[in-house]
This record gives sequence, structure tokens and C-alpha cells, in this order.
Amino acid sequence: MTTTALIADDEPLLREHLQRQLAQLWPELRVVAEARNGREAIELFDELTPDIAFLDVHMPGVNGVEVARALAGRARVVFVTAFDQYAVQAFEQGAVDYLVKPIDPDRLALTVQRLRQPAAVASSLSPLLDALAQRLQQQAPPRQHLQWIRASVGASVRLIPVEDVVYLRSDEKYTLVAWPGGEALIRKTIRELADELDPNRFVQIHRSVIVALPHISHVMRGNNETADVHLRGRSEVLPVSRSYVHLFRQM
Amino acid sequence: MDTPEPPPTPLRRLLRSLNFGSLGVTTGFAFTAALMLSPIFEVSFGVLLGRTLFVALLLLLVFNVAQRWPASRLPAWLPRWLFTLVAVSLAAPLGTLLVYLVAVGGRAQDFFGSEPRLTGFFVITITALLLGLLIALTAQLREREARARALELQLQLQQSRLEKQAVDAQLALLQAQIEPHFLFNTLANVQALVESGSPRAAPVLRSLLAYLRAAMPRLQRHTSSLGDELGLVRAYLELMQMRMPDRMQFSLDVDPALLARPFPAMALLTLVENAVRHGIDPGENGGRILVGGRQDGSAVRLWVEDSGVGLSDKAEPGTGLRNLRSRLQAFYGEGARLDLHDATPQGLRAEIHLPATTASNAA
Repeated sequence: MTTTALIADDEPLLREHLQRQLAQLWPELRVVAEARNGREAIELFDELTPDIAFLDVHMPGVNGVEVARALAGRARVVFVTAFDQYAVQAFEQGAVDYLVKPIDPDRLALTVQRLRQPAAVASSLSPLLDALAQRLQQQAPPRQHLQWIRASVGASVRLIPVEDVVYLRSDEKYTLVAWPGGEALIRKTIRELADELDPNRFVQIHRSVIVALPHISHVMRGNNETADVHLRGRSEVLPVSRSYVHLFRQM
Repeated sequence: MDTPEPPPTPLRRLLRSLNFGSLGVTTGFAFTAALMLSPIFEVSFGVLLGRTLFVALLLLLVFNVAQRWPASRLPAWLPRWLFTLVAVSLAAPLGTLLVYLVAVGGRAQDFFGSEPRLTGFFVITITALLLGLLIALTAQLREREARARALELQLQLQQSRLEKQAVDAQLALLQAQIEPHFLFNTLANVQALVESGSPRAAPVLRSLLAYLRAAMPRLQRHTSSLGDELGLVRAYLELMQMRMPDRMQFSLDVDPALLARPFPAMALLTLVENAVRHGIDPGENGGRILVGGRQDGSAVRLWVEDSGVGLSDKAEPGTGLRNLRSRLQAFYGEGARLDLHDATPQGLRAEIHLPATTASNAA
């Protein structure tokens, strides 16, 4: 019974190249499927159930590590990765083989030799895969606060970096966002913004006003337990209502 | 997280201000005043000292209270220094009056009827007023100096922060450039082409060389021309297209008249790399990248647009973008802008606006 394999890589030249190299080193091996992303890899695998899966780690959508998890030990996995220092370290400690791009023929020969032997008692790959998946995630930790405000300016939607925003002020229907380059109206309410903006930088000072702390020049106490916020380099004065004036008590 | 200590209550702050230093100085003044005045006073030195000391301490208390009077209780038209002055000026005669009334056991007519006592009252009041006002004014001056010093320190801090930012940006530029992931993936593709005997190998290697040469920090000239930059961008895009031909297309459309303009090196490449890495690459179906440039009167508009996955509003703004903005402004002045827009129907469009340059820059 011939051994079958699946190759997954988003770069077509590399898929072809690996196939050629395998054909030279292991002519009996039959490559039954080529996948260009993780989703396709899982679909083709479920359809054709090959014995071996060569998985590129970095693929759009579902990546190679997630594919390996989905395979859940139903095939022998060989990861293919470009210079990813952390991944290489992880592989060296784990019970799974890996190849580094560009693939060195001697190294591939070694892998082929291992694959031709019956599989050693496989310790569970899950912990290794979990660690790898986590490392891949860590490369771009998700932020929980808004980093951009989307505002219609003319015919297009502008993305304003949150560090440029000076203040936000709402009237009945819309909220005005002000930044050094201009002003625009957005649909989000002050309440939504107060929830989504970083509270270390943005402070609500009024039912309808949020101001960015670094843009405050000074605060003037007024009568009736209210206050006014004066901004750096701008003439607007923002009102602080009674319910929020306690925030400035220390000044 | 530690919560900061609650701010001291006004009373506590007041008590803190009455420290040994100020008490000692006040006592000293009282003693000196008593010494100087004793020749003209009938009463014993001890009594006189008692009176001057009381008035002096009262003035110290009134001064500190006035200085710490909550700002919210002060009418807007009354500056604090005037408030303090008035308070001290009132406290001097009133305090001395109190001393004398106590001395006569509350029998006011014994005070107002007695000439020496009235004289004594006036002398101490005037001395107290003079000394009190002198001290109050000195304290005001010192406070103003302290405030000026604090402001200066703040400005220095700001300055050094800006300097640090500039240095960081330069360092990032020096270190950034050639990402191993990119390099080895590209080389793997080149190897594939070479081993398959493909005629595409040679032009691809040329593109790679062009890219590497431009991306090596040591070989970088700090400025190059827009034409040079486009050559670099084209090399990069050709390499990426070799790697993902089914997922990426690109086109370059820049007005030839702009190519000779000086332009900061790697600036446009940053936007193109972002478009590929964060826009096109994450999507299974990829997209296309447009790089363009037009004259807008005497100003210039450059853009990099992708039809990829677009920017999520929680996505971390990369330091690349921030650095790019600073570099553009350092190069072209405050008028240079970098704006991001949503592309339709999807993707991101980054636009650079360069203000009109003077004749000497345009060459």
C-alpha cells in the first residue's frame, strides 16, 4: 500500500518545489493533495485521508498549527517553516518533525527516512500545538480598546488614530470628533465611546463630552461647582458638568 | 495596583506648614521687634515679647490660611496674593487690639482711655504690618520663582522626551529592515525557480538584489528620489507576486514628472509592506495593490491602496506608521500629511500629502 501525502503552502512555487524534491527522494510516495491555505488543507484531508501532511506554518486564515490540531493525530505531521526562531525551538523539543525553508535536501532526506519507519509511540501533540498556537497569537496580541475612529470626511471614511483625537462632543444625533487636522461627525454615541476608549487616556467630563487628557492645557474652576477645560493649541473650551467635576478636584 | 495616598486635607496641610522652620523664624522676628521696641515701652520686656509673639504667630497663621484658602471659595476677581495681603493687613491691627483688650481684662474704656496703651497699640500694629507685609511679599516672590522653576523642568522633560523619540525613530529605522521571515521565504522561492531551471530565476534574483541593497541600513542614503523609491517598491512587489501569484496583483501609476523629487528612503515601502502583510496576505483570496502619485497644483499626492482585509478599529497602529509620519514632517515640514481611509468595497488606502515645495527642493 503506497503512502500518501498532502502538501499545504500558500506559495505555489514552494508547493511544487517540495513535491519535486520528494519525488527525487521518495519516488513511491504519492502526493494526493495540494492545499493553498489551512481551510483547504482540512477539507482535502477529510476527503482523501492521506498518511502524511506537510504543513506550512504561516498560511492565511487557518494556519498550519491549527490544521495540525484539526488533524488530531490522524496523520503524521511535518511542519515547514521559514526562519521562525521560536517555532524551531518548539519543534526541537516536541515529537514532530519540521523543515526550515529554504529546504535543504539532506535535511529532507533525514525526514523522509524517519517517515518511512513505522511511527514511534506518539506522545500527545496537543501541548506542543497549544504552545505553538499561543506563540503565533502573541505576535499580535489583540487590543481591547479602540485604536482608530472611523469618520466620514467628504466622500470617504477616514481612519483617525486615537492618539490624534483631542475631544469628542455629541449633540442630539451625532458625535463630533476633533483632531488637529479637522473635525468630523460620527455615529457612535458618547456612551459607546466611553466604553470602548482607553480610560487612561480619555475621560468623560460631561454627559456629552469626552476629552483626551494629554490635550488638556488647564482646567478653570467656575461658579456653581462646574469647571471649564482649556485645550492645548485650540480655542474651544469644554464644560465639565457637576457630576464629573470631582475628577479635577486634585488640581 | 497600589492606590495613591489620598491627598492631605486642607487642615492637615495647614498644620504641616506650621513647621519648626516657620515657627522659628516668626519667633525670631517677634523677639527682634520686642528688642527694638522695648526702649519706648513702659511694660517689661517679657510682656512686650509676649504681645509681639502673639501678634507674630497670629499673622503666621493668617498668612498660611490665606495661602491655602480653597480656590473654589475665592471670587474670580480676587487674586490670591491680594487676598493674602488684605488678610494679613487686617490681622495685624485686630490681633494687636485683641492683645491689649486681654491686657486690660476686657475693660475697653481702660484701653481707649489710656494714651500709652493706645500708642503701644499703634506702634506694634505698624511694626507688625510692616514686617508682616514684607514677609508676605517675599513669600509670594519665592512661590513665583518655584512655579517658574517647575515649569522650566516640565519643559526640559518634554524636550528630552521629544529627543528620545527622535533617537528611537532613527534606531528603529536602522534596525528594522530586513525581516528574516521575508528573506528566507523569498530565497526558498528563488531556490525553487533555480532548481526547476525556470527562466524566471534571473529576473527574480535581480529584484531580490535590488531590494536587499536598498534595505541594508548601512548602504542607505537618508534621502533618495521618489524614482528610486518606486524602483524599490516595484522590486518588493515583484518578489511578493512571485510568491503568491494567485493572491496578489499590483500596479504602479506615478506621474513621471514626480520621479526626480527627493523623497525619504523606504517611506513608501513601509506603506506597501503594510498593505501586503496586513491587507493582502491574511486573506485567503488576497487582492490587488495600487501605488499612485499625482501633482495637485504644486502639492503632491501619493497613495498606496489595497483591496485586502482592511483595518480593524482595534488594530494596533504600527510604529512604522508613526515613524513615517514623523519622517515626512521632518523632511517636508508640518504641511506633510499621512492619512488612512477605508477603500471601497474593502481594504485600506494610505495617502501622503506633500505640501508645495520651494524651487530649491524640487530639483
